[in-house]
Amino acid sequence: MPIVVIGLSHHTSPVELRERFAFAEAKIPEALQKLRSNGVADEAVILSTCNRVEIYAATTNADHSAFQALRQFLVARGDYEGPLNDEIYNLSEPQSVEHLFKVACGIDSMVLGETEILGQLKKAYDLALQHKHTGGRLNKAFQRAFNVAKQIRTGTNIQRGSVSVGSVAVELAEKIFSALHDRHVMVIGAGDTSEKTARALLSRGAQSIIVSNRSYDRAEALARDLGGRAIHFEEWASEFQKIDIVISSTAAPHYVLDRAKLEPLMKLRKNRPLLLIDIAVPRDIEPEVNFLENVYLYNIDHLQAIADDYLKQRREEIVRCEAIIREKVKVLLNPEQPPGLASGSRAVFGHE
Amino acid sequence: MVYGLSAIYSVFLWRKGFRQHDRVNYGLLLLAAIFHTTAMFKRGFSFDRCPVNNLYEATLFLLWTIVATYLVVGLWPRLRFLGAFAAPLLFCVGVFALMPGLDNSYGARPEFKHDWVSLHAALILLSYGAFGLSSVAGLMYLTQEHDLKFRKMRAIFSLLPPIQRLELVIGRLMVTGFVLLTAGLVIGAVRLKLPEGVSYFDDPKVHWSILVWLLYLALLIMNWGFAQGGRRFAWGAVGCFLFVLLTFWGVNLMSPIHH
Repeated sequence: MPIVVIGLSHHTSPVELRERFAFAEAKIPEALQKLRSNGVADEAVILSTCNRVEIYAATTNADHSAFQALRQFLVARGDYEGPLNDEIYNLSEPQSVEHLFKVACGIDSMVLGETEILGQLKKAYDLALQHKHTGGRLNKAFQRAFNVAKQIRTGTNIQRGSVSVGSVAVELAEKIFSALHDRHVMVIGAGDTSEKTARALLSRGAQSIIVSNRSYDRAEALARDLGGRAIHFEEWASEFQKIDIVISSTAAPHYVLDRAKLEPLMKLRKNRPLLLIDIAVPRDIEPEVNFLENVYLYNIDHLQAIADDYLKQRREEIVRCEAIIREKVKVLLNPEQPPGLASGSRAVFGHE
Repeated sequence: MVYGLSAIYSVFLWRKGFRQHDRVNYGLLLLAAIFHTTAMFKRGFSFDRCPVNNLYEATLFLLWTIVATYLVVGLWPRLRFLGAFAAPLLFCVGVFALMPGLDNSYGARPEFKHDWVSLHAALILLSYGAFGLSSVAGLMYLTQEHDLKFRKMRAIFSLLPPIQRLELVIGRLMVTGFVLLTAGLVIGAVRLKLPEGVSYFDDPKVHWSILVWLLYLALLIMNWGFAQGGRRFAWGAVGCFLFVLLTFWGVNLMSPIHH
């Protein structure tokens, strides 16, 4: 009884289409029950995330008729009447199992190597398992997929490093400061990226956030969201003494912070290290400040370059990951016969 | 020779940006330390005293304190990369120790009690070991600080600790070294009686030791009192130890008391 996969993902379809086919978590057990009671699948797991909607099924039906039935089920479920060409993909063994392993490892994800998908896959599998919609084949395949994901995570660099501007900023801060839990962060200018960066720092334990913005109301709103304190824009320099990390993203057409202004402030700070993250365009911080001792300035291009480098490294790891996955799929689908087993009998995964 | 192999291996680790937990380097330094310890024990037992009685032995003792500290610290895998900084230093100083004229035969000076001489020498050499490690931490600081300033990718990839922690390590090792040096010098001045007609104040090594003591005191005061941390402090740690390394042997050879 082979495993097949049918679905659509960010590779094949836009979000407008994916959302039509998405399953609400509460509706998944019912959908699984329907799949099995209609004889479309003997075992099934439904994975529905913002980037993919997939049905993993083990079925005794021939591949062609299984795919036809699963497709009809999906289309009827999504109440979709528009044209469909290559948006929905069908995979049979061994590609189906290979695909499952790739999804578990984050190789098929939009953000290459991300780990969130593994949690979502585990949750989808647990849901099907709880409602007894899985059996020997899917149980074994999913358990193996989770093991392979663990092996790939520890044995390769596919998940290494940060690929977003916010997380790169956190990594930089961790290379400068002994610990982030007693660091004070100042956000100058309440933009979207600065908010994300501040949130990333807070999630790693940064102690406090001070928000300064030309519009005090916006500063207050963001400070409230971040659990910090808002100050008037003119006051940011007076608060500077205790600040360790500055995230700047104002819309000012000139430098908000330059060398002449920062030099005396550094003396007040007793030359403690200062990380400046300038994500504004045009830039808020004069590049010259990087020449000051204990000052580390990174602008949006520097952060993006680091994130891109990480992504490049992850891409280079894909070949290694795929080789490991192919090997694991081979072992799963064609396990060696245990010694002493009669040559005529088969205890092969999916075909016993 | 094993220190040499480790130093060569360290060059590769530097080039890679310390991205690997270098077990090989740790293994090489462990092997070198085993040989080193065995040789020191044999020498100590054959002369029936702590082997710190001439320049050659003093240098080897200094190396031993550095490698022993590294092996303990390196038990934590994340700090094993420190070997890449320690190995070249160990190798260079080790080669220096083999210079002719350093391993002179010696006899006990009857006017000194052996226990105080050994303690005086051991404390001072241990202080140099602490200063040596402080300079190693200083080198790490300068490497990481340079990479962060110039936005090198290896600043993030490397296994080096955050620069703020490195600065703390430099300071603590320097204080340790300073306390040991002070204790060693005080014991030397108070407990070791010189023969008639010989004065401490005529001895170049004593002048040199006071200079080293003052240099480190100045560095610590600058750091504590004037917030001169960061790069300048790291350069100070590296520079002062380099001064000790380059002048230690020469001054010892010039000193009638210590030679």
